[in-house]
Amino acid sequence: MEIGPFYVKDCALICRMAGVHPAVSLRELRARVEVCPTASLYHHFCETKVRPSFDDPEYQSDFAVWAARSLRDQALAERLGVINPYDYDDLEDLRAVVLDVLDDHLAGVPINPQAQRGDHFHFMQAMTVVFDTRVQIQTVPGLLPAITKMTPGSIYFHVIEARRRTPRGHDDFSTWLLPQGGAAAEIAQEMSLIDFYFLSLRELQERLVTLLKSHFPTSMAV
Amino acid sequence: MTSFLDRYADIAGPDVIAGLRQLGSHFAGQRVVHVNSTREGGGVAEILRWLLPSMQDVGLDAVWETIEGDETFFEMTKALHNGMQGQEVTLTTSMMAAYEEANRRAAERLGPLLREADYVYIHDPQPAMLRNLIGPTKGHWVWRCHIDCADRSRAAWKFLQPLVETYDASVYSMPQFAPTLKHAQFIIAPSIDPLSDKNRPLARSEIDGVRREYKLDPGRPLLVQVSRFDRFKDPVGVIKAFRLVRRYFPVQLVLAGGGATDDPEGATVLKAVQEEAAGDDDIHVLFLPGDAHLEVNALQRAADIIIQKSTREGFGLTVTEGMWKGKPVIGGNAGGIRLQVFDYQTGFLVDTPEGAAQRILYLLRHPARIRKQGEQAREFVRENFLLTRHLREYLTLLLGLSMGLSDRIYAQAPTADDKAATVTKPV
Repeated sequence: MEIGPFYVKDCALICRMAGVHPAVSLRELRARVEVCPTASLYHHFCETKVRPSFDDPEYQSDFAVWAARSLRDQALAERLGVINPYDYDDLEDLRAVVLDVLDDHLAGVPINPQAQRGDHFHFMQAMTVVFDTRVQIQTVPGLLPAITKMTPGSIYFHVIEARRRTPRGHDDFSTWLLPQGGAAAEIAQEMSLIDFYFLSLRELQERLVTLLKSHFPTSMAV
Repeated sequence: MTSFLDRYADIAGPDVIAGLRQLGSHFAGQRVVHVNSTREGGGVAEILRWLLPSMQDVGLDAVWETIEGDETFFEMTKALHNGMQGQEVTLTTSMMAAYEEANRRAAERLGPLLREADYVYIHDPQPAMLRNLIGPTKGHWVWRCHIDCADRSRAAWKFLQPLVETYDASVYSMPQFAPTLKHAQFIIAPSIDPLSDKNRPLARSEIDGVRREYKLDPGRPLLVQVSRFDRFKDPVGVIKAFRLVRRYFPVQLVLAGGGATDDPEGATVLKAVQEEAAGDDDIHVLFLPGDAHLEVNALQRAADIIIQKSTREGFGLTVTEGMWKGKPVIGGNAGGIRLQVFDYQTGFLVDTPEGAAQRILYLLRHPARIRKQGEQAREFVRENFLLTRHLREYLTLLLGLSMGLSDRIYAQAPTADDKAATVTKPV
């Protein structure tokens, strides 16, 4: 089977308001999560890595961060923070899990926790523009120098965003590698084991580079 | 010859510059017009000073125009500005008439340019009425609000909302500032130009020269707040914090700032600050001209700790500038300062002069933490708040506007055979 080159893409995100009123309390958060667009759920769980943020946040999802910082509810933050959105096939399934956690927590607290003035939860979503970088990877060893030089936008698009886009939820590198069989398929298998959700984009890039170096220790040539 | 953006490759990375050019390739020859109210003073003029050449560098025909007005017009726009920041204001009939008249004159002068532009960015309330006065246009119009308008007054917003509603989209520095409107509202944090006179590296002799010029003692720690003399920047609160610190530590304070040409209140606030500091040799109140960028740069670099104790703040570019110079920041717990200052990481957020004094004392007693937090602050700015990220988001928005603002847009870079950008549905 003829496998063509891997076309490297990049993407740029810009955040926009999701058209949902901000939540000031836990009960309001629950009500808004129930009706917010799935694009907003996706944004607050999965697109946090590509927004300006300090270092590695304690929690990956904005809901967990808000529970910790604004509601000062550590238990809720932990329960929300452990939700991995990639465990669910559908964003509606993810929504149901988040609502379960919120309902369960609300049932156990005597009051409706409130955020301070100015600390409301704002529902956002992103507009993503994907563009071709004109870079093509012709061979499997060529992945190593190419990934080494990739922008965070390219890493995000080909590894994280890809899982929302491809039918089997694979990253783009694996989708390209698997049909090639042999060592290429082995690399794809190893890539699938990287727990990317809890890594920053730079850490993810380093893991990919380390993995590829273990297969191509002497080669940096395309 | 090195192009405008190539100069940033060493700081931001060549891949980042390449990405910007890739985005820019979609706009070859298209015109974007920016309109604001002043070319000197204030954060908006500073942003436009680098945004124009960088947009031109990626292929856009970028133009910068300003709206002009009389004293009553600027009274009105200052009232709108204060009102958007939460102050109760009264907009008189004569003020509203002066506002409309200034916008009408600008619409007559700029009409042909604005009607034919592919994109128009209107910055802040001053020229906001242009969209309504200009009639049918070819391009997309964006209202860019640089103000912290989370608690906007009803009077100001009642006047502005119908004007803003007519735009295709609006942009705010933080989600907290975005009002509910019918059009798409985007969030773009501002940024700094690391190579501008205000931020470029300086020789030790240049910093020492400014120390000598303003009679600053090199042997004592220096606290610096750089900002317009504006009540929302709380300069009197900074003096109070400084005096609390001085009880325990020999420090000196610089309050440096100028006045924007659209801010008639500046002189009143400056006078109040001068009165508060009168007779105190350790407090240096410096009213600097709008082009004193090198002096500001040197003062920030001479500082041990940067202060920005604002009670309201749009984004707080002086915070970003201070952090870029490797200094921790004691910042007011307001607006965009909260996006930049993280306790024990890049400085401290404070709510009161007492809180500011406590945090300043903590840092002065732990000089190693001043260095560590300063280093982290600089890296944080490099990753998030340099003009390259800002430009990328502006270009992304323009591309989105031209392609229908859907969640995901697949842009095909124009080739020799196909000069048009296309939108396709995601797989």
